Amino acid sequence: MKRKLFLTAIFVAAAVSIVSAQSRKALRVNEVMVENESSIIDDYGEHHGWIELFNSNFAPLEISSIYITNDKHDPKKYPVPLGDVNTRIAKRQHVVFFADGQPDKGTFHTNFVLEPGKENWIGIYDADGVTLIDEVTIPASLTADNSYARSVDGAGEWGVRDGGEAYITPSSANVIRDTNNKIEEFAERDANGFGMTVMAMCIVFSALLLLCLCFYGIGKIGASVSRLNKMRAHGVEKHDVEKGEIVHDSGEEIAAIVMALHDHLNAHDTENAVLTINKVKRAYSPWSSKIYGLREVPGVNHRH
Amino acid sequence: MSFGDFLLKNLQQFWELTGFANAEIGNFIMILVGLIFIYLAIKRNFEPMLLVPIGFGILIGNVPFNTTAGLEIGIYEQGSVLNILYNGVSAGWYPPLIFLGIGAMTDFSALIANPKLMLIGAAAQFGIFGAYMVALALGFAPDQAGAIAIIGGADGPTAIFLSSKLAPNLMGAIAVSAYSYMALVPLIQPPLMRLFTTKKERLIRMRPARAVSQNEKIIFPIVGMLLTCFVVPSGLPLLGMLFFGNLLRECGVTNRLAKTASNALTDIVTILLGMTVGASTQASQFLTLQTIFIFFLGFMAFVIASSSGVLFVKLFNLVLPKDKKINPLIGNAGVSAVPMSARISNNLGLEYDPSNYLLMHAMGPNVAGVIGSAVAAGVLLGFLA
Repeated sequence: MKRKLFLTAIFVAAAVSIVSAQSRKALRVNEVMVENESSIIDDYGEHHGWIELFNSNFAPLEISSIYITNDKHDPKKYPVPLGDVNTRIAKRQHVVFFADGQPDKGTFHTNFVLEPGKENWIGIYDADGVTLIDEVTIPASLTADNSYARSVDGAGEWGVRDGGEAYITPSSANVIRDTNNKIEEFAERDANGFGMTVMAMCIVFSALLLLCLCFYGIGKIGASVSRLNKMRAHGVEKHDVEKGEIVHDSGEEIAAIVMALHDHLNAHDTENAVLTINKVKRAYSPWSSKIYGLREVPGVNHRH
Repeated sequence: MSFGDFLLKNLQQFWELTGFANAEIGNFIMILVGLIFIYLAIKRNFEPMLLVPIGFGILIGNVPFNTTAGLEIGIYEQGSVLNILYNGVSAGWYPPLIFLGIGAMTDFSALIANPKLMLIGAAAQFGIFGAYMVALALGFAPDQAGAIAIIGGADGPTAIFLSSKLAPNLMGAIAVSAYSYMALVPLIQPPLMRLFTTKKERLIRMRPARAVSQNEKIIFPIVGMLLTCFVVPSGLPLLGMLFFGNLLRECGVTNRLAKTASNALTDIVTILLGMTVGASTQASQFLTLQTIFIFFLGFMAFVIASSSGVLFVKLFNLVLPKDKKINPLIGNAGVSAVPMSARISNNLGLEYDPSNYLLMHAMGPNVAGVIGSAVAAGVLLGFLA
């Protein structure tokens, strides 16, 4: 019993750690500004370079105890502090860290600064300080008030944004969408719904056809296994069956033989025996229950 | 202020809070609809387990009150008791619980014994996509059209689940429409079945289904879930719970869980689901031109689904050997109004041949329809969410 409990505990712990690891892997460096002259200001009204992280999960993500660093040889450079409710990033949302080298100003102020005119490498490490979650190298050519960002949140190519047509978007989505592209595309390209019908029916048929074929196979295998088991139980060998000694155990066949004997010979066998009638147990299904008729056939209620 | 004025002022304020002072004609129309539902359920026995909670829910949802008084009693007022209960509908977690119960109630033997019947369940989903095309033609956006079209799946929980994701503002009308037509299946389907079949076809006798071993019954929900959800992961909430419930039933070692899922849990969720869906039909939200369109589209969807099931069997019979022909009267059962549509197949079959029992054969496409409509919902969710 203790061993079972121990194994279960190990399994649960492993599962939890895997889930945790999987969720943190979804954290992304999403946009970076190295030299901030006129972009966003921090809580103290000052301009600093900033790093935007994005939770690409569809579930909230707690980032306290991860590490943010600009030094490959010091992965544990800035540990995100524990105990701040704001380190829980909602699903598909962003958080901005100011790279001002002043961690005493709060959770979202790192202990390092980004250096203009040089390549800046930024990495985020998991709580173990070993597992690299994401990294990016900002080119030295990035000028003041320009950001280096992914084309879409959490994915896509990195590129420079100058604040013109390519928006700089700290704490918000890199692609600002005011409509659902999928819906727009269906409305435009499949106005009569024919394409959707063809695609969807193909998928529905494929899914059920797959299931159908699978159960044909399982049925055949089941029948073979069952036949072999019967032969073994009757002590019949495979070559006997091939010779014609087929195992007869069908209830219908036995009933037919008994009926024939009764009709033609009027034969009865008499035995000293006790007949016990047991209730046949069947799997209960409320679908067929008369008492709990979930959906009875409608009709006029006759009250007696 | 004299004492008399004080009393008068308070009574006047109280009057302003009453239903009489706040009533509009729409409230009375919806109350009448609720009463009709209750009448149909109690006196005509139309889906009483669903129409009584929905009908009474309509009454609850249409008692007028002063919405500016901040009483927190309306179903759409955040924090009200009804709003909390409605979360199961709006967030879409009642339908998967109902599917758990359906899985725990359903015997898939007929389907396992004769897997080709699954294709009838797939064919009946034409109802969904036929209605989708008509909905687009009527001017609905693709996501709204998808939510409305799922009525053709003849599956209330699926309709609620999908509409809560694709078109939450239409959910009340979609749910009421879906359940109304499910209750009317005995009136809608038989004329179509007669129309599309010949007398000779109605007399087709199908071979008795083979016995299904317990191992097959255990394998079915596991393989079924994996296969269908690998194809359509967006159907996971419904299909996962459906097959999980079925495994509880068939594995033989979780009888208590299966019993709870199929009885107490399903009953509780059905009560809450029915009542809150009914209450969500507040006149101000429900009595619109869109609702009329939704009811029209729902009817279209049921007609197309039932017809396509029957016609598919006729088509299928062209390639089947003579001794393995399928009676097209079970084609209507491809819509997943379980087990009503299977009973209709059986009753109609008995009408033409008093010894031709089609019930077990019809249960095959019937439960395949449940799987098919959940897959179709997953497809729509995947494409349009």
